[in-house]
This record gives sequence, C-alpha cells and structure tokens, in this order.
Amino acid sequence: MKPESTGGTYSPFEAIRIVSTSKLPANDGHDWSTEMVAVAQRRDRASFMRIYDHFMPRVCLYLRGMGSTAAIAEELAQETLLRLWQRAASYDPSLSRVSTWLFRIARNLHIDKVRKESGWMLVQDALEAEEADHDGRAASSAEAYVEHTRIKACIDRLPATQARLVRMSYFEAKSHHEIAQELGMPLGTVKSSLRRAFLKLQADVRGAA
Amino acid sequence: MTPAHHLDPATVMAYAAGALSEAMAVVVAAHLTGCDHCRAQVRDAERIGGVLVEQQQPDEVGAGRREQLRAEMIERLDQSPVFPAQAAQAPAPTVSDPDPLPAPLHPYFGRSFGTLKWRWMAPGVHCIRSPVAGGGQLFMLRIAPGKSMPLHGHGRSELTQVLRGAYNDVLGHFGPGDVADLDSEVMHQPVTAVGSPCICVAALDAPLRFPGWFARRLQPLVGL
Repeated sequence: MKPESTGGTYSPFEAIRIVSTSKLPANDGHDWSTEMVAVAQRRDRASFMRIYDHFMPRVCLYLRGMGSTAAIAEELAQETLLRLWQRAASYDPSLSRVSTWLFRIARNLHIDKVRKESGWMLVQDALEAEEADHDGRAASSAEAYVEHTRIKACIDRLPATQARLVRMSYFEAKSHHEIAQELGMPLGTVKSSLRRAFLKLQADVRGAA
Repeated sequence: MTPAHHLDPATVMAYAAGALSEAMAVVVAAHLTGCDHCRAQVRDAERIGGVLVEQQQPDEVGAGRREQLRAEMIERLDQSPVFPAQAAQAPAPTVSDPDPLPAPLHPYFGRSFGTLKWRWMAPGVHCIRSPVAGGGQLFMLRIAPGKSMPLHGHGRSELTQVLRGAYNDVLGHFGPGDVADLDSEVMHQPVTAVGSPCICVAALDAPLRFPGWFARRLQPLVGL
C-alpha cells in the first residue's frame, strides 16, 4: 500500500522547507497546555474548540501521510480529538505537550484501526502502566518547559537529507529498509543519518537545562 | 535490573513513528517493558513526532466541509462519555502466573513460559513462530546451554531480546533484558552460556527466509 504523496510537485527538499515554514498566524507560541487545563478542569468548550481548530487539520494531514484515505483520515482525526476531550481529566501539563498527546493517540488509532496490528494497543497500555509503576515519567517532566519554537528551529537546522529521512519515518511510516530502497541509499547510511538526527532533536526536546 | 544493551536510536525513532514492521515492534515492546532508559527515549521520539505534526502546513480544506466536521464534533462532545482522571489502565489482572511472558508477547505467544508449544528445529534448538502482518518474521527461540549458533550476517535488520539465560558473541554478553539491535553489516556467532537454556524473542525484518534460510545455516554446525 503506497501512502499518498504529500510532496506535491515539489522536490523532497523543497517540500521540507515548505512544511517547516508555517504560513499560519503565529500559533507556535500559543499555550495549548493552558487551554487543555481549562478543558480538564472546567470542560471548557471554547478552549477545546480552539485546540480542535488548530490541530484537527494537522492530525488529518498526518493520517493521510500514514496511508489512510482522505475519508478515513478525517474519521480518525475526529476520533483523535474526541478522545482528547474525553480523557482531558487525565492531562497533566507537566508531563506532556498537547501535540505529543495527539500524536500518540493518532498514531495508535492508525496502527490499531488501519494496519490492524492486534497487539499494538495492548502494548501501549502495558507500557503506560509500567511507567506509572516505575515513575519512568520523571525523566520526561521537562517537556512542558521547552519552547516549541526552539524544537522547531532545531528541525529546521537539520541537514536536508536528515530532515527528509525523519519526514519519511514520521509522515509516511517508511521502514529503514523502505527508505534505503526508495532513495538508493545503503541501509547503514539511512540508520546512521536517523541516529544523528534523533540525537540532535532529542537534545532539544529534553531542553537540556 | 537495568539492561546493558539497548535499542539503536534509529530503531527507537522508527518505533515511535509507527514505522517498524509489526514483528520488529513486538520485540522492541518486549524490551521496553523492562527498560526505563529506552522507554524515555521513545517518549522523546514521540515528542519529536508531536512537534512535527504541529509544524505541518495543512491543506486548505473546503470551508463547507470544515464547518460540517466542526459541527459534528460539537454535537459529539455532548453525546460522548467523559472519563475521570486516571492512571494508565493496567492490563486486566489475571490469575497469578508464576512464569509470565512480557505483556507485549501475550497476543503472539500466550501469557506464560509454561504454556509455550516449542517445536524442535535442530538438536538443542526449539522454535515457535507467530504470524504477523507485514513482511517480517517473529519467533521465539530456545537454545540449549553451551551451544554455538552458526556464524551469520543479516540481509536486513535483526532484533533479539533475551528473556532467559544468556549468550555471548563478538558484541558482548547478552543476558535477560538485553536487546541485540543488529543491522545488515554485523556478522555474529552467538554461543549460549552454560547453565540454563537461552530463551529469546527475535524479529527479522526480511521476507520469508525463515526457517529454511536459518535451518540451512544451522545444519552444518549441529552436524546434520
């Protein structure tokens, strides 16, 4: 199954630049966590719908890239946002960004409903339970304090090839092997490029204090 | 106990991105249940995913369609049950099993070491395969102590999580909880440690060359 191209008529490298330069109003600085806390504490609909308006089209685009048809992507994106509303009470702004939560929900729905991998959801639940037991989240708590713009800047600074491979992984769910075949690169090069990209981005998401 | 051998960051990223085959993802998950270090890495990779998703420039969807979806969502907010704050749902408690397999393996191999249906593959080597989606292979191996496996490389990636026992190869000593995350360039010849059998769960990110391929290499060594 071939995921739909998200690159249009642009070369991969042009596409990266376009994607990484948001033309929308300055939403980068928007504090979605605060909106989310309002949803959690007061079931604040206006806050929820602001989150919805910002994220729904992005989640939808993400799911199309993963290989869903437009109709299924819409349906799963709606479901993703609805789950955010339903589970809002469990949201802890010190533990995760709204975008991370949505990414996880959307990815999990896709793997469960579209790829139909029987064990995926069970595994995700088991891992969360394990984290709760082992306090494994302590290491993650810096997340909310990292500026979104800083991470974005780091993504923009990645060398074009690394950015391309990261996008193929996250937006097209291509395996290392598929990427290697498609780009005619040795598998080892694909893996070492992704490794370098991850370590750079990780330093920023962890917000090395 | 903290494992000594961890996942390659490139594998962590692929897992978080949903870009691993089911077979590989199951082995990664088996490792994650016992490894705080790699779980934290996966969470970081998911954060990167969140930023990437948010950073996208969405298409201009027709305004009419957008309004329709929006209206549907507002309607669903009223109709949908809302859940109280809760910690992650622990898997349903089961009859206490003295010999449980890691939870991620349950859908593929059952819940307990005790109920595994091992099939003889070669002297000292037993195997169980589990069907998975995609092109990969997912299997468990039980290798007798002190046994030398064939020297082999890998067409693609191989991921092996040690559950019990141990083995040694050029890369070091691999005991329970350790994962060997190997790519195509590595040639290795695992030798299981003396004492108890080595039980692993492994995935090959390669199509349909097991067990024939594996058995062919295994045979000369075990003297068949």
